Amino acid sequence: MTNRQARIFAIASTAIAALAFLVLTLDSHRQFGELTNADAITPEVTHGKDVWHKYNCINCHTLFGEGAYYAPDLTKITQHRGDAYLTAYMRDPSKFYDEKIHRRLMPTQDLSEKEIADLIKFLDWVANVDNQGWPPRPITVTGSGMSSGVVAQRQPEGTTPVDAEDDPRAKGEQIFRTAQPGCTSCHSIEPGVDMAGPSLAGMATRAEETLNSPEYEGDATDIEGYIRESIVAPSAHLVPGEMYSSGGTSFMPTGYDESLSEDELSQLTAYLATLK
Amino acid sequence: MRYKSQSVAYWYFAVAMVLFGLQLVFGLLSAAKYLGPDPLLYILPFDVTKVIHTNLLIVWVLTGFMGATYWLIPDESRTELHSVKLAYLQLILWTGMGVTAIIGYLFRYGTGNKLLEQPLPHKIVIVICMLIFLYNISMTIKKSGRFTTTEGVLLIGLFSSAVLFFPALLHYENYTVSIFYRWWTIHLWVEGVWMMIMGSFLAYLLIRLSGADREVMEKWLYVIVGLVFIAGILGTAHHYYWVGVPQYWLPIGGLFSALEPAALAGMAAFAYAAMRRSGLAHPNTLALHWTIGSAVFALFGAGLLGLAHTWPAVNKWTHGTLITAMHGHAAFYGAYAMIVLAMITYVLPKMTNRAENGTTLGYWAFWLQLAGMFGMTLSFATAGLGQVYLERIMGMGYLDAQLKIQVHFLMLIATASVFTVGVALFIYDFFRYRPHFETSEETLVTTTGHERTA
Ligand code: HEC
Ligand code: HEC
Ligand code: HEM
Ligand code: HEM
Ligand SMILES: [Fe+2]
Repeated sequence: MTNRQARIFAIASTAIAALAFLVLTLDSHRQFGELTNADAITPEVTHGKDVWHKYNCINCHTLFGEGAYYAPDLTKITQHRGDAYLTAYMRDPSKFYDEKIHRRLMPTQDLSEKEIADLIKFLDWVANVDNQGWPPRPITVTGSGMSSGVVAQRQPEGTTPVDAEDDPRAKGEQIFRTAQPGCTSCHSIEPGVDMAGPSLAGMATRAEETLNSPEYEGDATDIEGYIRESIVAPSAHLVPGEMYSSGGTSFMPTGYDESLSEDELSQLTAYLATLK
Repeated sequence: MRYKSQSVAYWYFAVAMVLFGLQLVFGLLSAAKYLGPDPLLYILPFDVTKVIHTNLLIVWVLTGFMGATYWLIPDESRTELHSVKLAYLQLILWTGMGVTAIIGYLFRYGTGNKLLEQPLPHKIVIVICMLIFLYNISMTIKKSGRFTTTEGVLLIGLFSSAVLFFPALLHYENYTVSIFYRWWTIHLWVEGVWMMIMGSFLAYLLIRLSGADREVMEKWLYVIVGLVFIAGILGTAHHYYWVGVPQYWLPIGGLFSALEPAALAGMAAFAYAAMRRSGLAHPNTLALHWTIGSAVFALFGAGLLGLAHTWPAVNKWTHGTLITAMHGHAAFYGAYAMIVLAMITYVLPKMTNRAENGTTLGYWAFWLQLAGMFGMTLSFATAGLGQVYLERIMGMGYLDAQLKIQVHFLMLIATASVFTVGVALFIYDFFRYRPHFETSEETLVTTTGHERTA
């Protein structure tokens, strides 16, 4: 190869690659609107994005997997946590996590209420961008793995598919792992492993105790009824704890009565009632 | 030193050294916070120490590039710099920009956009500095009428770096689009145009140190540039997989970024071949260590460890974990920190009273840094693998998984301390001899045995 040929090689390969890249960039612009739900970018979402930048969140967290590795990825956070939870968390993270246990804590950021509200709208916009299904399994903030958080929207490879002939409780277990927002991102079924929600180990026993206690003000009369009520109307009775509720409102998301069918609800309830 | 004006390089290098030292202070602080609890949570939280760490890195490496260029251009074009005053003005503006940006970050004054955190006024000063710089070196070359291939590649690399900074000045409503263009700056810098800068420094050093034939070296330089861009431009797509872009970027990113190591292998082969064929023509063996070291470590950190997680099926699990930090450290250090240190080591004996072949301290600095950075890479790698396995595959919560990998953070701090000692020795060695700026003719032996002036 001569010097001249080498130079032509350098210039030609650069030019071809750059041209292909520009064409693909133009085509991407054609598709950004749909992939990112660009019409859902309201002024609130834009303001929320500015808040995200202003407080330097990216240098602790990742969003779309980009940022720093000191704190959890937040791409799908609004699919795991409801508005009420996130609002209370942003006001004071130290009420939710203990630096002595996890050795890390998010500093309180002094955000205004408007900033918090718009930030959550922005994070919710992020969660709905079509990003090729990443992360492949949900990334949760806490939890011991194994029994919790193992499953994403899709069925993981290697688990038994649940079909119509199976026991309702087995189907319920499946729903517990796949419902949206995921029960497993807030609840474990191991004793003492409290995450954003209390551990559901011993659920049946505790439900009975709750029903018999004078503090109980809900409408349920039996164990399954109590569990069902906890799912469809989380605020009807509150498990005490500052990280679980504020001002009488549970941080557990509402809307499961709509996203789950009547059958699914009873299967889920039947499953949880087996946790003695 | 053959031209009086080359002395400006010394002051650029001096600034780079100070900022390098400071970068490590903030790196160590950040790493300590991984272990926690953090007594400085409300004074100097992680996000602040980390943004300062990465910004100091970018600023000192660019300062090093500028200094090295101000040294190289007079040498190659055989003339004094167009304007020494402009060069100093540029250094003052640049350093002022860097220092005020860091002070601003202490108060979270920044754009909050990863690696492009510099506030708009600072970005504008960056552009002004780049313009002064490009003007000054272009005028120097123009005046001399001598323009070598090495200079050409360097100049295009610097010019394109400035051009690629422009997307970073714009504002985007759509977060996905802003990520898309962030990589035009970051990726096309480190895996594109900065490689041209590195390649030309490498060619310059190899020609001087090994006496390799200029014709041959410059031909290879073109081949490397070609390889860099065939793979590197479309390789940008390895950052597009999961951010909300069309699906076709996945195979494109996988394929082309997997070709990127070819250019790095080319550079290492280039260094090796130069040594094999032409031997050592220069007494400065320490500079040679840094030069070959840079080519080899870049192949390891950028080529091998980049390849390790660039395929979409792997990146799906490793994306945004400590695996990225593993690669980021080894790649940045091998490719850009080491090449700047190589230029400094080559230049120093010509501007300070010291032995050409390097001091004992200089060798300690080299080996301690190498061992330390290798250890840090391993620590990030083991921590990252633990994180991927526990958090991403087993579904353990983020905070619980981090608790399980604490031991790797201890290892990170231990190896980073070794690295820091190496850097401290380098900095001490840099400053312990007073500069003196007399010009002198130097001779250089070519492969054919003829003497010629460098
Ligand atoms: C100094 C580092 C740091 C900064 C800056 C930071 N965070 Fe966090 N964040 C954390 C850590 C650590 C956690 C894990 C929970 C904990 O220990 O508090 C966390 C957790 C979270 C969670 C998840 C809480 C849960 O239980 O689901 C959200 C949401 C969040 N952060 C949002 C933000 C937003 C929005 C910003 C910017 C305004 C931000 N963070 C800035 C460190 C940080
Ligand atoms: C964002 C976190 C979150 C998600 C997601 C979530 N929960 Fe909860 N859950 C909570 C919190 C917080 C409480 C405690 C406060 C309360 O009593 O409502 C709770 C309470 C409960 C209780 C009552 C426990 C007791 O001891 O009385 C049950 C049962 C329950 N959740 C089931 C579910 C099921 C089933 C799902 C999925 C369909 C689910 N949760 C999803 C946060 C969550
Ligand atoms: C004392 C030595 C060092 C220590 C302890 C250290 C530590 C760290 C830490 C803790 C982070 C934050 C990672 C995160 O986001 O969670 C980081 C980021 C980074 N550091 Fe260092 N560092 C050191 C030296 C260096 C050197 C010498 C370089 C380059 C030459 C470098 C380049 C980087 C880069 C590029 C990032 C961003 C990585 C990414 O976001 O993927 N660091 N460092
Ligand atoms: C000198 C050259 C290189 C340097 C300095 C470098 C540096 C970096 C840095 C700092 C990051 C983190 C960026 C961020 O998240 O903001 C990164 C990410 C990445 N690099 Fe490189 N890199 C180099 C070459 C390469 C090569 C040759 C490959 C592939 C073969 C590669 C593959 C990747 C991939 C796949 C990521 C994304 C990681 C993730 O998904 O989180 N890099 N690189
Ligand atoms: Fe890249």
